[in-house]
Amino acid sequence: MPVEVILPKVDMDMATGRISRWFVGEGAVVKKGDLLFEIETDKAAMEIDAPATGTIRNISGKEGIDIPVGEAVAWIYSEGEVSKPANEPAAKPAKAAAIAVEPAAAETVTAKPVAAAPSINAPSNGTRATPLARRLAAEAGLALDAIAGSGPRGRVMRKDVEAAIPAEAPATAKPAPIVSRSPASSQPRPAPQRAAGAAPLNFAWLRQGEGRPIVLIHGFGADLNSWRPMLAAGPVDAPLLALDLPGHGGSPRQTPIDLDAIAADVEATLAALDVGPALLVGHSFGGAVSATVAARGHADVRALALIAPAGLGPEINGAFLQGFVRAKSEASLMPWLRQLVADEQVLSKPFVNATLAQAADAELRTAQGEIADRFFADGTQTFDIRGLIAALRVPVRVIVGANDRIIPASQSLGLPGEVALHVFPATGHMPQVERREQVLKILLEMARA
Amino acid sequence: MDQAVRELSYAQAIQEAMAIALETDERVFLMGEDIGVYGGAFQVTGDLVERFGADRVIDTPISELGGAGVAVGAAVTGLRPIFEFQFSDFATLAMEQIVNQAAKMRYMLGGAVSVPVVMRFPAGSGTGAAAQHSQSLEAWLGHVPGLKVIQPATPHDVKGMLLAAVADPDPVMIFEHKLLYKTKGPVPEGYYTVPIGKAEIRREGRDLTIVATSIMVHKALEAARTLEAEGIDVEVVDLRTVRPMDKETVIESVKKTSRLLCVYEGVKTLGVGAEVSAMIAESEAFDFLDAPIVRLGGAETPVPYNPELEKATVPQVPDILAAARSLAAGSR
Repeated sequence: MPVEVILPKVDMDMATGRISRWFVGEGAVVKKGDLLFEIETDKAAMEIDAPATGTIRNISGKEGIDIPVGEAVAWIYSEGEVSKPANEPAAKPAKAAAIAVEPAAAETVTAKPVAAAPSINAPSNGTRATPLARRLAAEAGLALDAIAGSGPRGRVMRKDVEAAIPAEAPATAKPAPIVSRSPASSQPRPAPQRAAGAAPLNFAWLRQGEGRPIVLIHGFGADLNSWRPMLAAGPVDAPLLALDLPGHGGSPRQTPIDLDAIAADVEATLAALDVGPALLVGHSFGGAVSATVAARGHADVRALALIAPAGLGPEINGAFLQGFVRAKSEASLMPWLRQLVADEQVLSKPFVNATLAQAADAELRTAQGEIADRFFADGTQTFDIRGLIAALRVPVRVIVGANDRIIPASQSLGLPGEVALHVFPATGHMPQVERREQVLKILLEMARA
Repeated sequence: MDQAVRELSYAQAIQEAMAIALETDERVFLMGEDIGVYGGAFQVTGDLVERFGADRVIDTPISELGGAGVAVGAAVTGLRPIFEFQFSDFATLAMEQIVNQAAKMRYMLGGAVSVPVVMRFPAGSGTGAAAQHSQSLEAWLGHVPGLKVIQPATPHDVKGMLLAAVADPDPVMIFEHKLLYKTKGPVPEGYYTVPIGKAEIRREGRDLTIVATSIMVHKALEAARTLEAEGIDVEVVDLRTVRPMDKETVIESVKKTSRLLCVYEGVKTLGVGAEVSAMIAESEAFDFLDAPIVRLGGAETPVPYNPELEKATVPQVPDILAAARSLAAGSR
């Protein structure tokens, strides 16, 4: 029985998508998990893997045309199966689809919907999946629809999501799964004033929405995908833009000379995207970058949220920085990842795998090693943002975990009185992961204010 | 303090707890039908009447409502009565005193009085006593705020929890499964208490949580030993208290294993396992579930007299094995 390849629903509210390019042609032999094609919606692009091993036949989904979600775009024949005329497999789609995709998708194939039902819940409304599988997939940025469920009646379970992660991890490490435009093609307009000449950064709109945008800047060694677990904690109505720092994620692999240079890159990227008044959110090293951007005044920052920010004191866990950058295997990485959190239960498999995928990129980690040497030389934070914060006229909130083992929580004391300080007990260096509901609530409050 | 530990039966452990309470607290007395000279319908009180006298081990007339009323009234005056029902089924006769008086009085009198009464209910099926003497009604009383409802599963726990119940300022209902009376286990000498409202993990496991009550704890442990050989690592949580329920222990266990099976002898619909299941569905553990929650409870029927049919109406070890295997595989 050939396995149907459908156009999956990868985004909320998605009714149709278009295949921007096929990576394989008619007759190609593929393994389960191999890249088949890239789809593009009006706001997202995503790479789609083969749901089975076999030979690609009957490619009906042409590049560049709108295709309804759930429609068959090709079939995969296993060894020994005879390829039938293109219309033949469609005669029994429900049965064939049950092998590869969840039943709900098979139903939409036969129903040929023109518009998808409005979804309040994630890209995978209607997909049979356990709550645990849904959570892990959301944290990994995976669309449930693209995962074949092994449970009863095609239910996607934890093991199915975990099995899907290694296949997708390279895709998340380079361009983000929900990528709007690659940096090269985004053609930034010249940024104002001193930002001229700065390089644009890789970015992703993680959420669309109304109101004041929230701009997210990750910490050292992470990338824009590191915000996804927090977004899984609740509904987000504000537009949400995440950036990759230089030398991180999909941004240029360079070592910036100082915080001002990074701030200029951020400003250029925001200007190119026409981001107006925004809430700027930075984690750790990204917090220092955010404070610098806010202080420079080139970008229209209306409020600033600093999560476990760097730059408030000299000490930082130098052993962590070195060990993290050097770690190549799960065995050598895990002890360092545990340092990041108070409760290691929050270190989900997707999180660990995504970090490992980055560790496998030697060039990336080399760039990050240089960044660590420059900004955190000899285990010391070589920059200070206290003066910048004191001069700010916008609302500033600092969010830290009381049990931070990377940057001591005590460094957040002694800021100006009008700076709000949120201290979460039993929490480490990543409050946005360990206290995701509360941190998300704080950020949304700030965006609405 | 080191205490010598001996093997005692569940019934002996209850008797020892009551003897300690009678010895150490002059406010304590026992009452119930045939608990004196006869030694109790299940011989739990035994010779206590000879040791403590008929003033403190009181045979009552055959009126559960009257007996319960006396016990509640005595408790309000400051005494610490332990009232035995011959069968938990007869709680129905005393509902006015238990539900409308004992449970409510502290609330309705603004905390001016409390009702430190202990009621003991021999419960459950398996003795061929038929429909009116075999029920498991703990969920009935567990539904009433103001009561504490416990189901100790071991001799150790029943002694410690009974002593905790005597010391408790509020009415405590103890459901003792009749088939447990002859089961044996280690029991420390002397006075100790086991807290009401705290579940106990009887066996740690990674793959599946079974929350069981009373005799079902032992069936779940037996099933867990078989499942271990099949590579299914079961965690068995002995709920011990129906009200107030130890949510935290159950939530943490389900977060660890991602699968929940509730096993209880009371009728499945609206039973204790129904509450555990709903509590988990509402909790933070929801996002950790990797399979639907499954309940194994008593059949939707009066308990039959025929011994084979009687067995078939309550969960047995093979039922637990089948449910656990199906749950470990993803279930339904």
